[in-house]
Amino acid sequence: MTKPFSIFGSDTRPQLGPFEQQLLQKLWSQGSATVRELLADGKIHQAYTTVMTTVDRLYKKGLLDRVPEGRAFRYTPRHTHEELQRVTAVESIRQLLGSADASSLPLSYLVEALSTHDAQLLDELQLLVERKRRELQNQETNNPANKDRE
Amino acid sequence: MFALRETAVSLTFFVLSYCLLSALVAVGWRSLKVLRVTQQSTAALLFTLRILPLAASVIITFAFVVPSFQLLEPRSIDEGLGTMPLVFGICALALITWGCYRVIGAHTKASRVVARWLEGATPLDADPQSVVFRSSGEAPPLTLVGVRRPRVLVSESTVAVLTRDELQIALRHEHAHMHTRDNLTKLVFRFCPFPGMATLESAWSYAAELAADDAAVLNLDDAINLAAALVKLSRLLPVEAAPFCTVGFVTGSVGARVARLLAWDEAGKAQPTRLRSWHLIPLALVTLSCVFITYGHALALTHEATEWLVR
Repeated sequence: MTKPFSIFGSDTRPQLGPFEQQLLQKLWSQGSATVRELLADGKIHQAYTTVMTTVDRLYKKGLLDRVPEGRAFRYTPRHTHEELQRVTAVESIRQLLGSADASSLPLSYLVEALSTHDAQLLDELQLLVERKRRELQNQETNNPANKDRE
Repeated sequence: MFALRETAVSLTFFVLSYCLLSALVAVGWRSLKVLRVTQQSTAALLFTLRILPLAASVIITFAFVVPSFQLLEPRSIDEGLGTMPLVFGICALALITWGCYRVIGAHTKASRVVARWLEGATPLDADPQSVVFRSSGEAPPLTLVGVRRPRVLVSESTVAVLTRDELQIALRHEHAHMHTRDNLTKLVFRFCPFPGMATLESAWSYAAELAADDAAVLNLDDAINLAAALVKLSRLLPVEAAPFCTVGFVTGSVGARVARLLAWDEAGKAQPTRLRSWHLIPLALVTLSCVFITYGHALALTHEATEWLVR
């Protein structure tokens, strides 16, 4: 079984994005649900695909179980809220007593723990990057001398 | 018995100074935040602080404790080992063993995973000396692996989603890590365990990432390309997510890094100071002079402390 505390970073706070936390809370209250059922009451305003990606990510983090239901999956939380809080506390103590085991492995990633970022944040960042790129292109178009200098 | 006593006393001094200095570093490292230096300097300072307890303890032991015992302890006296040196000596040996175990464990664990990632990997370019490999299996998007012979692993999906410019700048980022031997640094950290050092290591890790960003980026175009690569790769879920890719992450670091890169132009205008190693030369000279002048007295003091310990 995937250790649930592997989702927590060196910081003692849980490393789940706000939307991941919201979905997890909803699944705890409902017991189990498909993506469509999660969206049914209209409290979640994200797109179907965003919810699907996020629950899939929670499943890959070992926080959810899933069984096929028709063409979709039914997701169930693998741990209760209390269990998750307990492992968070254990992890906090582990952090206090020494370096986290995996963080200091001799490997360097360009992006570490990317799954802690929900799709919404990445979409916003993508928009920022595109806007900046357009600005730069406009500047270069308006002032081609700058590009020649570079 | 003399040699045994000398070993026990030396180990006692080693473990006591190591613990005292480590506690001081664990409590006081945050005061570095007031310094306005480059990320490269921040990473170097944090690394120095992290290994300072170990380095200083070794120096204290071999420069003061061992010589004072050799020169000032009469060999003829048939003195017992003493409870304190025995207990602390065992603690020191346990600490050293624990450090070695952590290094070997981390290296073995990483090697095993990397071997799996490298199965079927091919060089990204035709150069036979290439250190960049395209992994055919399930590997994280872009990873620097190895300590003695570092290599960069690029996953198939990374090659697919990044443009040529984005891939180039991302590779430059990993080459910067390779140049500063960050994987070796992580192994060194493993050798000096002490409670409460995890936050310092996280801070170092984050500073090292920003330093690699800075080293890779030469102009705003590069900065935008690296930011785009970060966002795109953040969408790819690493397959080895569970134990290796998820720990040691500082919340919001991708967002913060992207924002920092997009503000690259502004950041470039107000470049903070970069510390050079020669900045430390005056301090080292003063310290060496003090040690040289007071060495005899220091040896006598150390021997007094030794006597107190053995008693």
